[in-house]
Amino acid sequence: MKLELRDLRHVYARGTPFEVEALRGVSLVVEPKEVLAIVGGTGSGKSTLVQHMNLLLVPTSGQVLVDGADATTLRRSELRRRVGLVFQFPESALFAPTVEEDVAFAPRQLGLDEEEVRERVRQSLRALGAGHLAGRSPFALSGGEKRRAAIAGVLAMRPEVLVVDEPTAGLDPLSREELLDLILGLRESGVSVVLVSHDLDEVAEVADRVCVLHEGRVSAVGTPAEVFYGDPTQAPATVRVTSLLRGSRPEIGDPVRSQETLDALRALQGT
Amino acid sequence: MTTRGLGQFYPLSSPVHALDPRAKLLATAVFVVGLFLVDSTMGLLFVAASLVALVVVSRIPAGTFLRLLRPVLFIVALTLLFQVFFSREGVTLFEWGFLEVHSGGLRLGFFLALRLLLLVSSAGLLTATTAPVALADGIEDLLSPLKRVRFPAHEVAMMMTIALRFIPTLGEEAEKIKGAQAARGADFTEGGPLRRARSFLPVLIPLTVGAFRRADELADAMESRGYRGGEGRTRYRELRFRVSDALALSLTLFLLVVGILL
Repeated sequence: MKLELRDLRHVYARGTPFEVEALRGVSLVVEPKEVLAIVGGTGSGKSTLVQHMNLLLVPTSGQVLVDGADATTLRRSELRRRVGLVFQFPESALFAPTVEEDVAFAPRQLGLDEEEVRERVRQSLRALGAGHLAGRSPFALSGGEKRRAAIAGVLAMRPEVLVVDEPTAGLDPLSREELLDLILGLRESGVSVVLVSHDLDEVAEVADRVCVLHEGRVSAVGTPAEVFYGDPTQAPATVRVTSLLRGSRPEIGDPVRSQETLDALRALQGT
Repeated sequence: MTTRGLGQFYPLSSPVHALDPRAKLLATAVFVVGLFLVDSTMGLLFVAASLVALVVVSRIPAGTFLRLLRPVLFIVALTLLFQVFFSREGVTLFEWGFLEVHSGGLRLGFFLALRLLLLVSSAGLLTATTAPVALADGIEDLLSPLKRVRFPAHEVAMMMTIALRFIPTLGEEAEKIKGAQAARGADFTEGGPLRRARSFLPVLIPLTVGAFRRADELADAMESRGYRGGEGRTRYRELRFRVSDALALSLTLFLLVVGILL
């Protein structure tokens, strides 16, 4: 599905001395079957923005469109099923006695029959490599295991767009790798993924497009090459290296992913 | 985001804000006790006028102060109605079916409601003009004579400070968890009271777990900075009881005595 944000503005605590304008007119499209990364410093409005994608936050002004239709006309439960939102540190919302029960929460709220619920729980846990955790208590797991259980809990709704806010923050390198593979796998199966991240290196590896937020506005949007070579000081390590070489060797091109960069460097060496 | 209500501190610079917290605590205690000794309407109105004057001196905008009182207005209104309709004293002013309004009831209703309002206002003025940390320091000092009988004055004050400090933090955490569960299809508005209460379990359980985790972390952080309880602990901000504090306390006492005598 196509998710469109039109000129979103959001003001917190409006009309009080604590008023903060978090979004100042953001327009953005999440295309079907793409991985869109949203990057930006702390306080740039990333987390506020993603909570508008399933209308957990209602914009002060502006519109959210789902396949061209105004999202406010959809049933909220329907919208929240189609746009799955994984909060930052989602493990802080685990509550059930077992991982299985916790993952089953969302599909049960959808009113699916018990067999279908079980099937979805099994599938989403497997997708996260957490099938063996099903019977355990979520409070007895390691940080990485909790994170997987929590993400599985949203995946079990089979969303058409998955929005993940800083999913790899605080994870070990291996878990991070697996999570990025999951994101790519979801895109393969036709799900769009919105990835909010601080880590430009991981964004470089998985994103089809990158959107840079700055003080509540979109300051750049485009392919990773366009965005990162546009401002190589705010870029992944690969781009920072190649952009230094580009002065003397422009034929290196604009590789972003580590494999592309490696190939480009080898080609350079070969000539 | 942050909850505004009774007990909220409004940092301004005013003579009332500048007073020693101990003076304000004592004055409030005196005020609360004194209120129950005032038995004439004239006296109560006099005390009310004094309190209004105090609020003006504190520079807290009247609208803001009234908003502070909003949570208790319901109880005040209930007190008033109860007295007005169920007291059978004095002349009958009004009759409608089984409802009768008597002059005595009306007077008593207003009297009790005003007293309740003044009670809450005085406590509200205390917390609105005193920073939570200063308040805890003041309480600790006032309770310190009890240390002789092994009452943990410092620990009690520290617990109060921490509890106050964590109200907004837990509030924010609750909002976040509510959002996360809503994203998984939780609905907190549908169904009867029982179902609604049940729907909050997925919020309350992680909130409680998180609060315990936070408590552990805070204890570790405090200990790693050398906290070992009140024994031999010094203060960054020393409290000083000045002449102005003594005067403010005497003034409160004087106004109340006038109120009682009226």
